[in-house]
Amino acid sequence: MTATIRLPYLLDFYPLQDEKYTRIHQFFTNLKVGRFTTTKCRDCEKLHWQPRAVCPDCGSENLEWVDLPKTGEVHAFTAMLLGAPMGFEKDLPFVMALVKLDGLDFKILSRVDGIKHEDCKIGMRLKFKTVTRDDGRVFFRFEPIG
Amino acid sequence: MRKVAIVGGGLAPFGVRQATWKELAQEAGGATFRDIKNLERKDVDSLFVGAAMPERFAFQSHVAPMVAEQVGVTPTKVITRTELACASGQSAIRMAYACIAAGLSDIALCIGVEKMNIPDPPEMQTSMACVLDREFDGVQGASAPPFFALCANRHMHDYGTTREQMAMVSAKNHHFSTTNPFAQFQKDIPVEKVLTSPMVAPPLRLFDCSGITDGAAGVVLTTAERAKEFTDTPMYILGSGQCSMGSNLANYKSFSTWFPLKEAAKEAYRSAKIGPGDLDLAEVHDCFTISEIMEYEDLGFCEKGKGGKFIEDGKSDLGGKIPINTRGGLLGTGHPLGATGIAQAIELMQQFRSSVPRQRLVDNAEIGMAHNLSGAANVHSILIYGRNPP
Repeated sequence: MTATIRLPYLLDFYPLQDEKYTRIHQFFTNLKVGRFTTTKCRDCEKLHWQPRAVCPDCGSENLEWVDLPKTGEVHAFTAMLLGAPMGFEKDLPFVMALVKLDGLDFKILSRVDGIKHEDCKIGMRLKFKTVTRDDGRVFFRFEPIG
Repeated sequence: MRKVAIVGGGLAPFGVRQATWKELAQEAGGATFRDIKNLERKDVDSLFVGAAMPERFAFQSHVAPMVAEQVGVTPTKVITRTELACASGQSAIRMAYACIAAGLSDIALCIGVEKMNIPDPPEMQTSMACVLDREFDGVQGASAPPFFALCANRHMHDYGTTREQMAMVSAKNHHFSTTNPFAQFQKDIPVEKVLTSPMVAPPLRLFDCSGITDGAAGVVLTTAERAKEFTDTPMYILGSGQCSMGSNLANYKSFSTWFPLKEAAKEAYRSAKIGPGDLDLAEVHDCFTISEIMEYEDLGFCEKGKGGKFIEDGKSDLGGKIPINTRGGLLGTGHPLGATGIAQAIELMQQFRSSVPRQRLVDNAEIGMAHNLSGAANVHSILIYGRNPP
């Protein structure tokens, strides 16, 4: 569990996740059971990131949920040491990386838990994990393999 | 299409200002009208206000009519605000240019304003981070310094760019800003001091980053035909280019080459009928030291991967191949988002007039570029200006 600091809606980075608020609520529902998913267009076969309500290539709303690889490698990395936004101050310092997912061109930005930036290297292997806040909202991160 | 010129402009001092958003707009308006002989406020038929996030920094929306009132103009043709994050100021000029070229306006005022220093810095950082895709990248901690740090990390890996070379960009621009009384930072920051400043987002340290700045700037545009009514030294718009690719970081082709910059540059050079070798000087968007190095390359001032060597060899300094950021850049003068693009135009205009201090004057400059990136460098905006009509 990650402690929740309650912020006004327009100062809170974490999206509202249930179906009352977003058409991609399935993404968050899947995260809650450990699945890392995104949308794919059934009409033009485009794989999206982020998950979509409408295909940006062909305009179709005939989309399906597909699983993404849960491993990848560091394409580039950094960390936040100073200048945290509200709600992140207590997390400092933390590492971020562009994670090249295995077998895909996507380089998804993710926080990387369990490592110091001094120990990070380009090419380092990472695996997917989820974090759950005590308000029930969920998100994904990565962590080193082994 | 009618040809367009900038006939004058003025600045509010940049820095941590004891002044409100509205007061900064007033200062820029006053300075702009003082600079332009024969221009009366009633002559201005249009107003474009460059402002990135007054809703966040000043809790104010619908700012264009507010600025009209603050600076004493009553637009009868076009009035609007332009928002393109860090390029909001250049966007105001671009829209004024388009409207004058198309005949929708004859005399347009552009005012760029940002008030970024607010009582609670984390609240300011929150606002800055929502320039990126907040739901998927911002939530992971991405904001400006981490994004440009990722580019630096990758550029160092791909091309061998060094920490020292990045520090040299900061030292050069801070040295230029010692000649600029409107700059937020007016002291020299030598390379050694950059390299030992606090780490913000590795490999970027404090003096690799531009400041959090309050400031405002204004310019007036009219047709090339009417420009001489208002000044003996108009600055003409010769060409422009702009390109946007991607928003979420996952959709970027590269982090060590900015493809949208290459595209924007291609169109800017084509429309101005020049090549990079024809530029006498350039104002480029050095929000971080690595940005300026990548811009040398992707604007075509040097070979890809040789940006670090370019600064090391002094090619972007006064007397070099192309002096870059003579007013001190964003690193030296600060970066009030809405004002920056307009302040760059003012520097080029003053260079063409030879009215900048001798220590930063580029002799006989005739063609200059102003470049802004915005957000996570997914948009690049370029205007090419000339001392002589196109």
